[in-house]
Amino acid sequence: MSEKSRRAFLISSATGLNAAWVAANLPEILAAQDQAQQAARTGHAKLSFFNEAQAAEIEAITAQIIPSDEDPGAREAHCVIFIDRALSGFDKSKQAVYTAGLEDLRKKVQELYPGAAKFSALTSEQQIKTLTAMERTPFFTVVRNHTVMGFLSRPSHGGNYNKVGWKLIAYDDSLNFKPPFGYYDAQYENEHKA
Amino acid sequence: MKKFPLNSEVDFVVIGSGAGGGIMAKQLATAGFSVVVLEQGGWGKYGREHEYNKDEWIQLHLPEDQQLMSDPNRQRNTFRRNDREKAKPGNHTYGCVVGGGTVTYGGSSWRHLPYEFKEATTDPTIPSGTGMADWPITYEELEPYYVQAEWEMGISGRKIDSPFLAPMSKDYPVPPVPLKSSGALMMTAAQKLGLTCVPGPLAIITRPYMGRAACVNCGICSGYGCQVRARSSSAVTMLPLAVNTGRCEIRARSYVREITTDGAGRCTGVIYFDAEKKEVRQRAKVVVLSANASESARLLLLSKSGRFPDGLANSSGLVGKYVMYGNGVTATGLFEHPLNEYKGVVSGAAIVDFVPSDPKRGHYGGGRMTARGYQTPFELGLNGLSPGTPHWGAAYKKALKEEANHRMTIQCYVTQMPLETNRVDLDPDVKDEWGLPAMRITSTSHPDDIKNMEFFRQKSIEVLQAAGATRVWAPPVGDTRGGAHNRGTCRMGNDPKTSVVDKYQKAHDVPNLFIVDGSVFVTGGRNHPTMTIQALAFRAADHLVQAAKKGAIKTSF
Repeated sequence: MSEKSRRAFLISSATGLNAAWVAANLPEILAAQDQAQQAARTGHAKLSFFNEAQAAEIEAITAQIIPSDEDPGAREAHCVIFIDRALSGFDKSKQAVYTAGLEDLRKKVQELYPGAAKFSALTSEQQIKTLTAMERTPFFTVVRNHTVMGFLSRPSHGGNYNKVGWKLIAYDDSLNFKPPFGYYDAQYENEHKA
Repeated sequence: MKKFPLNSEVDFVVIGSGAGGGIMAKQLATAGFSVVVLEQGGWGKYGREHEYNKDEWIQLHLPEDQQLMSDPNRQRNTFRRNDREKAKPGNHTYGCVVGGGTVTYGGSSWRHLPYEFKEATTDPTIPSGTGMADWPITYEELEPYYVQAEWEMGISGRKIDSPFLAPMSKDYPVPPVPLKSSGALMMTAAQKLGLTCVPGPLAIITRPYMGRAACVNCGICSGYGCQVRARSSSAVTMLPLAVNTGRCEIRARSYVREITTDGAGRCTGVIYFDAEKKEVRQRAKVVVLSANASESARLLLLSKSGRFPDGLANSSGLVGKYVMYGNGVTATGLFEHPLNEYKGVVSGAAIVDFVPSDPKRGHYGGGRMTARGYQTPFELGLNGLSPGTPHWGAAYKKALKEEANHRMTIQCYVTQMPLETNRVDLDPDVKDEWGLPAMRITSTSHPDDIKNMEFFRQKSIEVLQAAGATRVWAPPVGDTRGGAHNRGTCRMGNDPKTSVVDKYQKAHDVPNLFIVDGSVFVTGGRNHPTMTIQALAFRAADHLVQAAKKGAIKTSF
């Protein structure tokens, strides 16, 4: 078994995808995994679509979509890494929306806050105002949905780092459970034991 | 798996491998006939189900040959409310994989009740001018086949004597699924309100059965393939048995474009596109059409010839008419404590008191209220929070945290009357990815159906409040635009002028064409069609095998 087919086999076993399809997409998958490992090590992953400046802007948007408070938000979940990988993989077709959207964002910031260097340099309040003004654009909708999915998808896709998204919604990904599942069926079972 | 040479004639070609087709393939092959099953979809994870994907992000991007549902961008369809409108691109989808919709469905396996076969002549609430008609068979005739289907497929449930449930001569083979918190809340509310809440029958096994493992309550259920083979789909029950006879070949990614006929008006086989869109001819002595109510009707309409200028088996002009896509009603409530509905199957319990129609309500209609709260993390985060919640920002995050695991939904499955004006036909302009006329759906529910939905909406709110919900919301009722519960396009009956197939599901016009799927439904029941499709399939197969062995249908047996 060649190194490539061995890795494809291992990945296919782990993901439930067929080995042929994994093999066809192997470079992207491996790159994505390397990034995830790197991210886990350093907190910063190698970017494949965004440059550093773009990533900072997108990360700032994600951090307004799911802000950090007493619980981790999109920033701690590495949603920007998820998006960067999505745009280099499954969602290549959305690259143009991001490229154009970042340009629109730059203009909107200039319009609302002349002289401001960039979105990520604005105060939180200013950022919210800027995004509210852009809330109905296709760009914002795509970033919003990517952020949510990045927050709640399997960590292997770059986001939901340390499962912080799943922890927020108290989701357990064990995929194997025994009843009672929740408060009310446990209560019902207790009441009807007697 | 047996491979038949492409130029050979087989006894039966079965179009579609879902609820109806899977049973037909197994029954015909085990009876000794040669069978080729043509499935439009791919193999999925047939035979290696443990490889089924449970990753939401991957599921959204499955490669074409691994998708489990049809794709409205490929299997294009159009929709309009009535004939005056120009149909626009629609989003009707259905299971499209070896095993059909049973690979991914929630698994509800309710029988029709005895009166559901004769509502037209017994229910005084039915308004005039609808297509409601009695079935040419009775519940009593079908009952043994319900038992057969429940035991051969593997249905979990509990036999309960109630006027709101079908009488059963035999219990289910395995006990019902756990109640879940949504079910427990529904039980509590039902007790308060004096209603009847029962565990639902499901095509998901709760004990090891016929070589398959019990459900592990993974929670990534409806819409996903089952890794442990607990969901009793055609792909893990009927099809392997058919293949093991050595007389059945399944061909995936084989999209039938025409049923061919000879000068005498008999079917001679089919022409299909293979995975490379190359046309292949498969000859057969008998054709069994099990492509689902919409696609079966469309294929008949596509199979025009000099002898059948309006489409095959369509001398009545009724092919495609009386389609029922089915309506749903939902209401959702939030509760103080966590329900953790992401664990377990979609639904474990239902209130059944409103299954029968009741003159006191002032309109025709009935339905079942099912308890559920199932939401995947994506469903919750993308569009699953209570109305009025912002889509982003601090308030969004707060709701995400507070509402997750604290909600239950009552989803009602309700009646929709057959109307001649509701139908499936061929779109005059739009073509599908194979260059064939796209399916065009024309559908508007009867005003009584809408009133009935509103009745169930109000009842659902009442039940959630009785269960102790801290907040309840129920979106306005909306009329169907298509969907996998499609029924009624080739109705069965004794009169060839008013029906498409006879009581054994043989086309009135074509002696060697059988239609075995939801197409043959005369009325829609309470929008839980699969178990009745399956019981009818066992019955049709029984008759077909007997007739074939007697020589009434010419096969090589």
